[in-house]
Amino acid sequence: MSIFTPTNQIRLTNVAVVRMKRAGKRFEIACYKNKVVGWRSGVEKDLDEVLQTHSVFVNVSKGQVAKKEDLISAFGTDDQTEICKQILTKGEVQVSDKERHTQLEQMFRDIATLVADKCVNPETKRPYTVILIERAMKDIHYSVKPNKSTKQQALEVIKQLKEKMKIERAHMRLRFILPVNEGKKLKEKLKPLIKVIESEDYGQQLDIVCLIDPGCFREIDELVKKETKGKGSLEVLSLKDVEEGDEKLE
Amino acid sequence: MVLNSLDKMIQLQKNTANIRNICVLAHVDHGEEEYLINLIDSPGHVDFSSEVSTAIRICDGCIIVVDAVEGVCPQTQAVLRQAWLENIRPVLVINKIDRLIVELKFTPQEAYSHLKNILEQINALTGTLFTSKVLEERAERETESQVNPNSEQGEQVYDWSTGLEDTDDSHLYFSPDQGNVVFTSAIDGWGFGIEHFAKIYSQKTGIKKEVLLKTLWGDYYINMKAKKIMKVDQAKGKKPLFVQLILENIWSLYDAVLKKDKEKIDKIVTSLGLKIGAREARHSDPKVQINAICSQWLPISQAVLAMVCQKLPSPLDITAERVEKLMCAGSQTFDSLPPETQALKAAFMKCGSEDTAPVIIFVSKMFAVDAKALPQNKQRPLTQEEIAERHEHARRRHAEKLAAAQGQAPLEPTQDRSDLETSPQGEELKGDEQEVESETPKPVPQEGNDREPFIAFARVFSGVARRGKKIFVLGPKYSPLEFLQRVPLGFSAPLDDLPPVPHMACCTLENLYLLMGRELEDLEKVPPGNVLGIGGLQDFVLKSATLSTLPSCPPFIPLNFEATPIVRVAVEPKHPSEMPQLVRGMKLLNQADPCVQILIQETGEHVLVTAGEVHLQRCLDDLKERFAKIQISVSEPIIPFRETITKPPKVDMVNEEIGKQQKVAVIHQTKEDHRIPEGIQVYSGGLITMTTPNKLATLSVRAMPLPEEVTQILEENSDVIRSMEQLISSLNEDKNTQMIHQKTQEKIWEFKGKLEQHLTGRKWRNTVDQIWSFGPRKCGPNILVNKSKDFQNSVWTGPDGKASKEASRYRDLGNSIVSGFQLATLSGPMCEEPLMGVCFVLEKWDLSKFEDQTASDLVKEGQGEGETCSGRDEHQDLQGGCSEPFEKRTSQKGESSLTDCYGPFSGQLIATMKEACRYALQVKPQRLMAAMYTCDIMATSDVLGRVYAVLSKREGRVLQEEMKEGTDMFIIKAVLPVAESFGFADEIRKRTSGLASPQLIFSHWEIIPSDPFWVPTTEEEYLHFGEKADSENQARKYMNAVRKRKGLYVEEKIVEHAEKQRTLSKNK
Repeated sequence: MSIFTPTNQIRLTNVAVVRMKRAGKRFEIACYKNKVVGWRSGVEKDLDEVLQTHSVFVNVSKGQVAKKEDLISAFGTDDQTEICKQILTKGEVQVSDKERHTQLEQMFRDIATLVADKCVNPETKRPYTVILIERAMKDIHYSVKPNKSTKQQALEVIKQLKEKMKIERAHMRLRFILPVNEGKKLKEKLKPLIKVIESEDYGQQLDIVCLIDPGCFREIDELVKKETKGKGSLEVLSLKDVEEGDEKLE
Repeated sequence: MVLNSLDKMIQLQKNTANIRNICVLAHVDHGEEEYLINLIDSPGHVDFSSEVSTAIRICDGCIIVVDAVEGVCPQTQAVLRQAWLENIRPVLVINKIDRLIVELKFTPQEAYSHLKNILEQINALTGTLFTSKVLEERAERETESQVNPNSEQGEQVYDWSTGLEDTDDSHLYFSPDQGNVVFTSAIDGWGFGIEHFAKIYSQKTGIKKEVLLKTLWGDYYINMKAKKIMKVDQAKGKKPLFVQLILENIWSLYDAVLKKDKEKIDKIVTSLGLKIGAREARHSDPKVQINAICSQWLPISQAVLAMVCQKLPSPLDITAERVEKLMCAGSQTFDSLPPETQALKAAFMKCGSEDTAPVIIFVSKMFAVDAKALPQNKQRPLTQEEIAERHEHARRRHAEKLAAAQGQAPLEPTQDRSDLETSPQGEELKGDEQEVESETPKPVPQEGNDREPFIAFARVFSGVARRGKKIFVLGPKYSPLEFLQRVPLGFSAPLDDLPPVPHMACCTLENLYLLMGRELEDLEKVPPGNVLGIGGLQDFVLKSATLSTLPSCPPFIPLNFEATPIVRVAVEPKHPSEMPQLVRGMKLLNQADPCVQILIQETGEHVLVTAGEVHLQRCLDDLKERFAKIQISVSEPIIPFRETITKPPKVDMVNEEIGKQQKVAVIHQTKEDHRIPEGIQVYSGGLITMTTPNKLATLSVRAMPLPEEVTQILEENSDVIRSMEQLISSLNEDKNTQMIHQKTQEKIWEFKGKLEQHLTGRKWRNTVDQIWSFGPRKCGPNILVNKSKDFQNSVWTGPDGKASKEASRYRDLGNSIVSGFQLATLSGPMCEEPLMGVCFVLEKWDLSKFEDQTASDLVKEGQGEGETCSGRDEHQDLQGGCSEPFEKRTSQKGESSLTDCYGPFSGQLIATMKEACRYALQVKPQRLMAAMYTCDIMATSDVLGRVYAVLSKREGRVLQEEMKEGTDMFIIKAVLPVAESFGFADEIRKRTSGLASPQLIFSHWEIIPSDPFWVPTTEEEYLHFGEKADSENQARKYMNAVRKRKGLYVEEKIVEHAEKQRTLSKNK
């Protein structure tokens, strides 16, 4: 019989519970906080650094240990350590504060790096630094969504940043080689998608070098393929058009 | 620098080094003649030695001030060296003699020997400068004579003397009896040269002045009885004359004043024949009394300026040697200059002020001033009548106001005035006048708001600078030879019609100013030999330039900077939208500061390179408050790395041969396996085979390290590679019209030959002929080699001029593979940094299925709508997963063959190639490459040890060390990783008390030998490093830092010890 008085109540403070349902039963194990994600990613290799105890519970906070029969019926073994490992890799985890924090921070950085990589200052055609982008992201109070891919979010960030500062996606340089008769028609269709036409050459074939927004590459690609029935070709000259090399200011 | 507000002044005063050149003009009556002295003050801190350089160039002489207590400091050496290099004559002032008396409590005898010591040190320095120069000249002569041995006429007598004995150097040294040394105490207002006392004592004692001049300094004593001056015999304890006649008198004066001995003071004062004001005499602070007495007895200004007038040369005395040195840059000799230029020497020497004399002006620096300080923007002084009128007006207004305000509370006049008082004079006036001031309309149109006016700090070397004169601006790289070649002799068209010559511009002298400290005075013309300010040149002159009316004038040699910029930081605006302001501000800063460099790097960083930490601070302050006027943040610049692979090591970390030891079973031995996902076959020798997601093509790739020399060749020839690339692309488009330039062709073959020479051995057989592409960006230090059988499209086909045009679809696929390779080389697997020195070999490419498919497509096309069964089968086999009905697709064949659920086929090929390259890298031992600086350090022998300590602490490696001939300076050559260089300059200066000055230049990339993924595997390694191997792994540290910065996944535990976490939540 347990008497629950504040003095002999022990708080579970450094505990993260990992749960798993198997064979209609719920099983739990008691782990240390901020360790389970590390175990799953393979950084932490010492099981004792992850598990508080090797025993499997039905309810960790009440201290109810799972029965042997239940374990055998659910996992086919009664080796507690083995079962713990299974639960650790497959069970549902409570993500602890620091784990969440580092994950979000990592994503934030990743997004900033992606944005910095994709974008340029349209005036100088030079990229912005990651630190600057990070600061700009903080300025617009961008909050990272953990369940969305960083690439998607980066595109979103670019859209939002455009309102605040001079930033633009680095252009892609393409070359079209089109048959002349279809080329003229196609050119009209391509026009709204092209940012800058750098050179045009009507010879035996129509040869256009231009800059486009990388976002509409697919669209252009499909258009060219469809309209010319595979005769026209499209070549990526450079993925992003940025100034190269160091420049000394004079 | 003009200080426009008190706040700023205070802020600048906090940092003593923040004081800039101030140019003051002074009339001095010395004897009968009047002199005009241009005085340029320059800061003493090492970081600002560039200011010294700019000042020294336009001077004829300099005053070197040495602290009597601290003696010769590193900066003294630097300044002496600079004066020496510019060939200008120095005089010496030993200041703060009072500290010897008051603080150190030296006896006169001690003080004398102390002073003598300082002088000797300085002379020793001058001596080393002199000997090194003589030795240099001698070495030059020797090499010359070796070049043309005939000129020696067979004289076989070898000259063993160093040449030192023959060269007279006595005039170089500082000695009081030469009159080029003055002893002063500026704070107490006194100073004297020997001459002053010689005059006094020759009157008193009747000894000839000339004799006294010679003997007052040195070990001589006076025999009072015999009235004779004798050599000192130390044993007899006789005091030298200097002590007895000069120092003791000063000492006794200080003694009397400090002890407040009224009688004695009076006695001294009367005996000196001085009159001390009652107020000073009664003052309780002894400093005031000393000041009052001494400034009358031995006025400092007279002592110093007398020396300046007598000993320093006038512009007329410019030495031929200096002129020649100024005119010929680098290794040029004066004789090699064109005759027109040589003729200018005479103009220099003559310094003529006739109108026919050519005008030659040197601009040594540009400085920004407040627009308000310009004379044309300043209010002109009011005439008497105007003042009277305004007074009247104001008085009336005042009366009205008083009448209106009666009964009301007295008005607060300052309040409404503060809005009105925008007049630039801002001086404290009183009463009504102040209101008058507020009435005056704004005299300046606010043009200075958007632009800081720059004034060129310059000197006229010859001719007369007149306002409105047309003049050539010659940049530092201008060559008169080039001009003379382009422009026919006797060319007399107006100046504006000249053909463009590089580094030359033509402009009109708009505003000429007299620099009076912070004041600028307008001038109509400036005669030769004078220092002046020139306005309106900022668009023509960046930092320094030569102005001349004759285009044959050579640009002066570039300024000699003691300190080269070395401290690098990245600068960014606090608010990202303020980028344009920052860039503009940095441009202005670049113009205003002679010793700052600004780089915009490929990463988009703006890097500021300054001479030192103090200089950096000043630059940042200037940027924040003057030039950009925005908040900025400063950070360590991003350090680039490269990724590469090496040959598998033969020995492990404890130098045991690999393979002999028993591998210990480790928990994380499976590391290799989970880096490579399933579905990719790894064969022996690191051959990776990968198939595209739609299973149409299979690629086999292997990665190999390139020999170091090859990487180097690739680096050096990136421009050759680029031109090859252009050739190929133009050939592919049938544009054979573009002829290959003979020279480029030669270069390309030379490059190929070099590669072949280094890529020898079985492994590399035929490799050079099979090179397909270079990467990243098609010109980098990585190679893609195609070893498949049907490959015939190597990079060399372009320059061969016989490029075989492949079927266009084949070319497309090839392009995709090359793009994949480009992407892979652009960011490696370790930390997404570019690759270097890696060779990817495409061993096999199986595109047969794809070809079959497209072939069948073509067949279908030929047959119109009726397809063959085989074609249908094949399609369904290959694209079974595709949901689109086949019939629909046939109507858009072009698309159907290339598009499926994985996106366009070319995209898949790119991705597959990229991944294959990455995995091929990962199965090899990967290494990081660090950027390295070469570091040249000049240090004296006594701080050599500390230099080494700093270097080794920062992972530097000393390559060589040698002694500079004729000096005690050592020159150390070392390499240092860029990653460790932040704060290096500062640390080395601190540790060596400024006696060593480093210089960093980027040199090369170097492999960091340690493996970033290394974990101990053998018994010995365990014993040595422990299970976790937590001893520092440099490469891993760098890699993780980069990954963290980029937001990549880092293999690091969030919490090291689970049990040691804080167990309570925060709010309990």
